[in-house]
Amino acid sequence: MKPQRIASALAFVVIAASALTACSTAEETSAGSGTVNWWTWDERQAASYHKCLPGFQKDNPGITVKISQYGVADYFTKLTAGFVSGAAPDAFQNSVPLLGAYAGQKQIMPLDDLIKKTNYDLKVFNIGVDSWKYTDGKQYGIPLDWAGAAIYFNEAKVTEAGLTADQVKNMTWNPDDGGTFDDIVAHLTVDKKGVRGDQAGFDKANVATYGIGSLASGDFNGQTSWNSFVSTLGWRMGDKPAWPTRFQYDTPEFAKTLEYLRGLGDRGLMPGYGQLTVSGSQQVGSGTVAMIQGGTWDATSITKIPGVKVGIAPTVKGPQGRSMISNSNANNIYVGTKNLDATWKWVTYMGSEACQSAAGVDATFLPSIAKSLQAAVDAQKAQGLDLSGFVNALNNGELWAAPPTANGQELADTIKPLFEAYFSGERDKNVFGEMAKKTEEILGE
Amino acid sequence: MALLETPARETRPPQPATRRRGRGRGAVNVNSPAHRGDARLAWVLIAPSLIGFAVFAVYPTLRGLYLSFTDFAVLTPPAWVGFDNYVKLASDDVFWSALGVTVYFVALSVTMSLAVSIVTAAVLHRLTSSTVIRGLIILPFLISAVVAATVWAWMLDAQLGIVNIAIESLGGDGVRFLTSREWAIPSIALINVWKQMGYTSIIIFAGLQTIPPTVYEAGRIDGASELQMFRRLTLPLLRPILALVLVLNVIGAFQVFDIVQVTTKGGPANASNVLQMLIYSKAFGQFDFGYASAMSFALFAILLVITFLQMRLLRANESEVSA
Repeated sequence: MKPQRIASALAFVVIAASALTACSTAEETSAGSGTVNWWTWDERQAASYHKCLPGFQKDNPGITVKISQYGVADYFTKLTAGFVSGAAPDAFQNSVPLLGAYAGQKQIMPLDDLIKKTNYDLKVFNIGVDSWKYTDGKQYGIPLDWAGAAIYFNEAKVTEAGLTADQVKNMTWNPDDGGTFDDIVAHLTVDKKGVRGDQAGFDKANVATYGIGSLASGDFNGQTSWNSFVSTLGWRMGDKPAWPTRFQYDTPEFAKTLEYLRGLGDRGLMPGYGQLTVSGSQQVGSGTVAMIQGGTWDATSITKIPGVKVGIAPTVKGPQGRSMISNSNANNIYVGTKNLDATWKWVTYMGSEACQSAAGVDATFLPSIAKSLQAAVDAQKAQGLDLSGFVNALNNGELWAAPPTANGQELADTIKPLFEAYFSGERDKNVFGEMAKKTEEILGE
Repeated sequence: MALLETPARETRPPQPATRRRGRGRGAVNVNSPAHRGDARLAWVLIAPSLIGFAVFAVYPTLRGLYLSFTDFAVLTPPAWVGFDNYVKLASDDVFWSALGVTVYFVALSVTMSLAVSIVTAAVLHRLTSSTVIRGLIILPFLISAVVAATVWAWMLDAQLGIVNIAIESLGGDGVRFLTSREWAIPSIALINVWKQMGYTSIIIFAGLQTIPPTVYEAGRIDGASELQMFRRLTLPLLRPILALVLVLNVIGAFQVFDIVQVTTKGGPANASNVLQMLIYSKAFGQFDFGYASAMSFALFAILLVITFLQMRLLRANESEVSA
């Protein structure tokens, strides 16, 4: 090789290396003074929270807030990379299962001193505060929203079956005979010859419309599947409300509830495990199912399926009334923030009625502040969407907070295959004892 | 490798093939004035690969080995735990189940892949001379694994997939290809075979071309059929090539990740939770890098042993042609 060629090859290497260095420098300087970087994983919420910026900047003209959104699949990996490189955002939206990992490894800061110093009142929140206390008893998160479950039904299918929306909105349930929920699901199910699930001659192997979408799920807290059923029996996930040492999968009421729900599939009233692969809204939209139980976050999208009118019903009313688990996301502050005062101002502004009401009107999330939630429900009502059930759930104490735990991801990964084995019929109810034991091991690590 | 004595080579002093390879340096006179100072240039030229190898292979391997003896969750410095991770590994049901699933996948995938590839290569070699067909065979290999897996996942979808629509239109019952325990691994293996078959076929095809036509002529004179010649001539003469593709396929199959991640994510109920998937979720999902490193080294050790055994059993460095 000629010296000139070697020189050009070396020049290329130098240019490539300097380009890489330039990239990392740009990352490091992005958290400049007066700028607060805030991250969320939800693009719709990112758009909603932009509505808080004018109000915040009016009070704090020197502070610029930069809202960034990264898809949930990459969000936590990117966040971890940010912690390692020191380029994490000043504040960010976080989910309860990650509290243990981040607080335990001192990547997020306790906020008690700031709360005290600025007289910030956590009583403004109606839900979510306790989920963000770490094992040291300190407060690490300022609540943003809450999420639960709701039942979405195809109004035309309900009318066709001779039922009313009110009947669906007031379904009762118990694990013995299934209450009116069972009657309605059976009646909404229709086989390919037009015979309903509660009529003689119903062919469960050839169903055209299932009464309810699958309630089988590998999710360890069953938020949109079994949780809103078993909770009405007084069942709670952990042996204590926060930092439990075991999950109570091995109680008789849990097994009874899950056996009832799996039985719906065996009776042909609910799709079998893995049978339908499209999303819940597509199942309702295509008429494959008459109702689905989904997340509260589905409300604004599922009710906008073209040509299909979808109603919203609260979860079932069980022996102890309505009850379901609620997940509360919150704002955390990165310990490496270079601009704590400005960051705290933004975080507390996001945790105010003004911001929650401004951003909440889109109903892209359900505010943890009851007054803001009411404002969101009122705004949506004007657009023809009735979310009043969500206010009732919050005001009537129907929600119980998902317990913060250690090793959240390991729990999720360990429990999922066991639930899948149960719902696919590979394992029987004895699996629940094994599940409880596994949670004991993981939570005790 | 098969080294045939071509007329051109016969003009050189006759030497056994293996000895000639062993004396590669003799081909260039390093002391001649034209080659003086070559060592420095040689170092400059191999420096990029050497640096790349050191930074991206040697260092991560050594670091991984160290991490396998630690408890490391990324955000705090690793804490030395000795052999704890390996002890935990020995009694971890999920690890052994993942190993079983992986071996099942490897067995299915490699057997099918070799069988299909050998037949395809033989057909290419003996029955067609069309370069277009030869080119088309390698096409699936050129497609990104993620794209291939995504398209196959759509086609094999239990509810809307075209494969099930075809089965049902023929009167059969739909199959839950990717959502049932029985079918998850066979389906992933089929996708993998479809993807790899072209590459393996082309390597075998190249091997076939090194077999002198005179061998087949002799076979034909002796009255052997195509099938007999394939079994008695082609397969034995191809042994070094087959050993190579077997080793490559086994290593590749042990490392399967992308297709699983796209199609089943290890489900249902861990039915397709292959080792790489488990390692990935431990490291990048649960941030348990210490334990994930220990699993990686277990996989490394397994591959080392398997490859060594394969090379020994198949006498991969010997060929019937050069014998």
